[in-house]
Amino acid sequence: MAKGMFVDTSICTGCKACQVACKEWNGIAGEPAHFHKVPNRPYEVAFNFTGNSYDNTGKLSSTDWRHVRFIEQFNENRSDGRWLFSSDSCKHCNDAGCLNACPVKAIVRTDMGNVFVQDDVCIGCKYCIPSCPYGVISFSEQTGTVHKCTLCNDRIHNGLGTACAKACPTGSITFGEVEDLKKKADVRLAQLQALGHANANIYGYYEAGGLNVFYLFLDRPAVYGQPEHPVVPQRRLFKSAAVTVLTAIAVAAAAIVSFRERGMKKNDEEVKS
Amino acid sequence: MIPETQAPHWEWYYIAMYFYIGGISAGAYFIGSLLEFFGNKRYHELSRTAYTIAFPLICITPILLIADLGRPVRFWHLFFYTKAGIPYMNLTSPLSVGTWALLIYSGMSFLSFLNAQAAGGPLAYPLLEKVHSLARRIPHRIYALTGSFFGFFVAGYTGVLVNTTARPLWAATDPLFGPIFIASAASTGAAAIALAMLRRKTAADEAFSQLGSFDRIAMILELLLIIAMLLVAGQYTAPLTKGVYAVLFWGGAVVLGILAPLGLHWYGRKPGEPATSIVTMAALLVLFGGAMLRISLVQAGQL
Repeated sequence: MAKGMFVDTSICTGCKACQVACKEWNGIAGEPAHFHKVPNRPYEVAFNFTGNSYDNTGKLSSTDWRHVRFIEQFNENRSDGRWLFSSDSCKHCNDAGCLNACPVKAIVRTDMGNVFVQDDVCIGCKYCIPSCPYGVISFSEQTGTVHKCTLCNDRIHNGLGTACAKACPTGSITFGEVEDLKKKADVRLAQLQALGHANANIYGYYEAGGLNVFYLFLDRPAVYGQPEHPVVPQRRLFKSAAVTVLTAIAVAAAAIVSFRERGMKKNDEEVKS
Repeated sequence: MIPETQAPHWEWYYIAMYFYIGGISAGAYFIGSLLEFFGNKRYHELSRTAYTIAFPLICITPILLIADLGRPVRFWHLFFYTKAGIPYMNLTSPLSVGTWALLIYSGMSFLSFLNAQAAGGPLAYPLLEKVHSLARRIPHRIYALTGSFFGFFVAGYTGVLVNTTARPLWAATDPLFGPIFIASAASTGAAAIALAMLRRKTAADEAFSQLGSFDRIAMILELLLIIAMLLVAGQYTAPLTKGVYAVLFWGGAVVLGILAPLGLHWYGRKPGEPATSIVTMAALLVLFGGAMLRISLVQAGQL
C-alpha cells in the first residue's frame, strides 16, 4: 500500500519546476542571492551561489526539500558530451536511519509509508542528521527543528499526488503505488537498455530496505551523488553495543584485579611480619 | 567515493564536553562502587571520594545537553511522548536509551553521594543529612550496584551513539568509540579521584599507588584501542591526520594525555611513596587528554 515516487532521470530536463513547486506548496523560504563587490571584478558577485553548472542551491537543506543536480560529462574542449540531471529528495526508506535514531518519536511513518517529521514534537537534538545515509534531513536555525520532504503528507492524504510530480513537465517524476511504479520502471529500464544505454540502472529496490522514492539512472549512482552501498547505521547497533559491553567487563575486571591482588599481597606481608 | 552525509553541527563545548564530563563522573563512580563491592576496608576513603565527585559532575551534564537542543524547552519529550501521553523510549536510538540511563545513573549517584557524606564525607551539611535520612531505608548496595551498571552505560553509550551514524569517520571507526570512551572514562575517573584525594591530603599510600596502577592499565588499553581504531578506519581517518583536530588528537589526546602520564608514572616508579608533584601532574595530563580525545573525535567527524 506504500505510496512513493519514481524519478526517471533519463527524461529530466533540469527545469527545476519540481523545486519551485515544492517550495510553493510547502511554504518554504527562498534563498535570496547575496550580491557584493569583489576585487578585480567590474560587476557584483553573489557569494552564496555555488558556481557549479546551473545549480545554485547545491544540496538538500531545511529550505530545499528537493534539489536538481546538474552533472556535466564533457570532454576538454566541450565539443562532445552530455548533461545528466537528477531531481533528488528524501527517499522515504523502508528502514529509515533518521526514524530509527529519533529519541522523541518526532519522526514517524504514516499509513502511506512516507516518513514524516512532526514539527511540534521535535526537540532539535540533531541526531537524525548524521544518521541519514543520504544526508537528506537538515536542521533549521529559524525553527530549531529538523525538516525534510514529507512526500506532501497533506496532499497524499487528501487524494492528490505530490506537488513536484504534479509540476513535472516531462513526467520524469511520477507519484503512485510503489508496486505499480516498479513495473513502470522495469519497462523503462528494458527500453533504455535496448536503445544501448548499457549503464542504465534502477537505484532503490534494495538500498535501506527499499526506497519508496527510487530512481532510474543512466550512469553509476555515485555519479549522481548517491552512495553505492548505503548502510542503515542502526544495523550496526548490536555489534557496536556488544563490543562496548565486553570492554566494560574487561575494565571492571582490571579494576577488581588491580585493587584486590595488591591488597591481598600487602595483607600477606603484614601477616608474615 | 565518500558518501554525502550531513554533520549535526554539535558544538564542542556542549556535546563533546558532555561526553567528557559524563565520562569522568561515570568512571569515578564505577571505580568507587566496584571497590565498595570487591575491595577491602582500606578503600573506603577512595570510594567516598569517588562518590563525592561523581554526583556534582553529572549535575553539569543536563545543562550542556539541553543547551545544545534546537528547542531546549522541549527536552522533556525525551521521556514522554506528548501525542500519546505515555513515557517513551526508542530502543534503536542510543540517544533515547542513553537519556534514560543518564536519568537512572544521576539518581543512583545522588543516593551514593548522600551516603558518602553521611559516612564522613567532606560535604556533610545538615540539609544533606536530612535528605539522606529519607533515603536511608534503601540498602546502599542496591543503588551502588545499579549505579555501577548505569555508570558503565553512561561512559560507553556515547561512543556507540556516535559510531552508529552514517558520517564517514564515525561509521568507519565503528565499533571502537564505545570501548575507547570506556577506557578514557576509567582513566580520567581515576585521575579525578587521585586529584581530589591529594587535595584533601587523604591519600593513604597504598590505595593511592593502586589507583595509579589501575589508571596505567586503563591508559594502555586506551592506547591499544586507539591503534586498533586507526587500523580499522584506514583512509577515513583523514580528518584526524591533518588540520587542527590532528593537533588535538595526536598532541593533546595521545602524547600529552596518554604517553606523557605513562612516562611520568614510569619515571616516578621508585619504591615507596610516589612524589605528589608527579602524581598531580600525571592526573592533570590525563584529564586534559580526555577532553582533547572527546573534542577531536566528535568534531573531526563533523568536518
